[in-house]
Amino acid sequence: MTPLATRDLLGTACRLGAALTLTAAIALLGVLLVQALGVVDVGFLAGAPSRFASRAGVGPAIAGTLWLAVLTAALSFPVGIGAAVYFEEYAPRNRLAGLAGSALANMAGVPPVVFGVAGLALFVRGMGLGPTILAAGLTLAMLALPTVLVNSRTALRQVPRGVRDAASALGATRWQVIRRQVLPAAGPGIVTGLTLALTRTVGAAAPLLVLGAPAFVTHAPRTPGDILTALPTQAFTWSTRTEADFVALAAGTAVTLLVLLLTVNLGALVLRRRLR
Amino acid sequence: MSDAPHDPGTGTPGPPATPVLSATGLTVRFGGRPALADVSLDFPRGRIVALIGPSGSGKTTLLRALCRMNELIPAAVTTGSVRFEGAELYAPEVDPAEVRRRIGVVLRESALFPGSIFHNVAFGPRASGFAGDLHALAEEVLAAVGLWAEVGGDLDLPAPALSAGQRRRLCIARTLAVRPRVLLLDEPASALDPVAAARIESLIHSLAGDVAVVVATSDVRLAARVSDVTAHLDRGELVECGPTGTVFTIPRSKRTEAYLTGRIP
Repeated sequence: MTPLATRDLLGTACRLGAALTLTAAIALLGVLLVQALGVVDVGFLAGAPSRFASRAGVGPAIAGTLWLAVLTAALSFPVGIGAAVYFEEYAPRNRLAGLAGSALANMAGVPPVVFGVAGLALFVRGMGLGPTILAAGLTLAMLALPTVLVNSRTALRQVPRGVRDAASALGATRWQVIRRQVLPAAGPGIVTGLTLALTRTVGAAAPLLVLGAPAFVTHAPRTPGDILTALPTQAFTWSTRTEADFVALAAGTAVTLLVLLLTVNLGALVLRRRLR
Repeated sequence: MSDAPHDPGTGTPGPPATPVLSATGLTVRFGGRPALADVSLDFPRGRIVALIGPSGSGKTTLLRALCRMNELIPAAVTTGSVRFEGAELYAPEVDPAEVRRRIGVVLRESALFPGSIFHNVAFGPRASGFAGDLHALAEEVLAAVGLWAEVGGDLDLPAPALSAGQRRRLCIARTLAVRPRVLLLDEPASALDPVAAARIESLIHSLAGDVAVVVATSDVRLAARVSDVTAHLDRGELVECGPTGTVFTIPRSKRTEAYLTGRIP
């Protein structure tokens, strides 16, 4: 038994930890909001970057980030979930499959900038796509893939063995068991994992900067072949300026990105409720 | 597998007909010592067979071998033969999913599917391509297990809302919905209160005849009350098999006698 006094001390330490975490979160949001307060309005959201801080907006960057989110999701979700189903349901339980699975899982810990360098060589130069939305979407999909895989595998593994056995016992084929019982049961968990992977990926600036995202894009991308612009890189560009007005624009851009990602999270929340 | 229209057996005592299910030299290993060793056993049409024996005696392994469930466990190796209506179940061309539709099993830790009662009952028939009226089928099988009236005909009731005994009967009902010819039940009445257990027992009685029932149980009293034939398993071997009355009154084997009287060998 731990002595009472020690337990009290540990409890206090935990409470302190919770308080600090909360303070950090509030401070982060507060600082951003105060800076962004006078910046974010309709003109800012709809407008394009400008030499004049008062006229500058993030319209193209919003469009770019939406494109990137759609491309990343469309490319990484099916592949990642498919791979997760393979590893959890079909792969033989041997050393090779285990090794391949954990190697892929470790990819989730590779820093985003590394994916940027690979994307630059592979898509921007190798495939000659240039610094386009498509090249960035492919790069971000690669970045998201290991996380999608790991999170989906975790969700699949949490489906009780009894559900699979019961479904098999009722004469369902392996695919019917997966399609009709395992995937629906894992659905809410998979959605959580996908959301986390998507928001982490789409918010990353480093890989896009490495790909060569231009600092000044005034036209919203209409197709994946258009030139790359996105909220994180826009925030980065403005934050490098010395004028206070432009730093405020960076804060406004960051807040816009936050709200966008929050919307994705809310959408996922609704989807999870429906899947349950 | 043939599905010839014939009299499924009425359960009336009489000369032994051809068994519906017949295991010969059945051995199952999960690596190491066999969990089931060279078991040969016939399951008469329309009758209730009880498998008794201590835990680890191979009852569950035998049940799972009869419907090819063991092969879902990667390490399992099965040898020997199981014939259903004369056809070899372990023949290479036989689809295990098809086997499990003919020989339904209610596993010991049978999990209900999340969702409604209807969802649980409809899953099996849908998986096998049932094209008829699922609601009528659900009503029929739920009535057969005595659940239809208890839930007031509400198929949309979430399955987890049921009591433990009702859940157990729902598991049996959803297996019946696939219309198996043989019903395998693993510890069907364990961990239930006496009333719920008695309901399961009378249910087993009412089901026999239409289907052959195999009950694996560590409750010898249940076996004595419910079965026509009792098979005693111990450490993966078949110790003794015979009419339940005979096995319980004048067992041939000392091991069976010791087990039934609760003596530690």
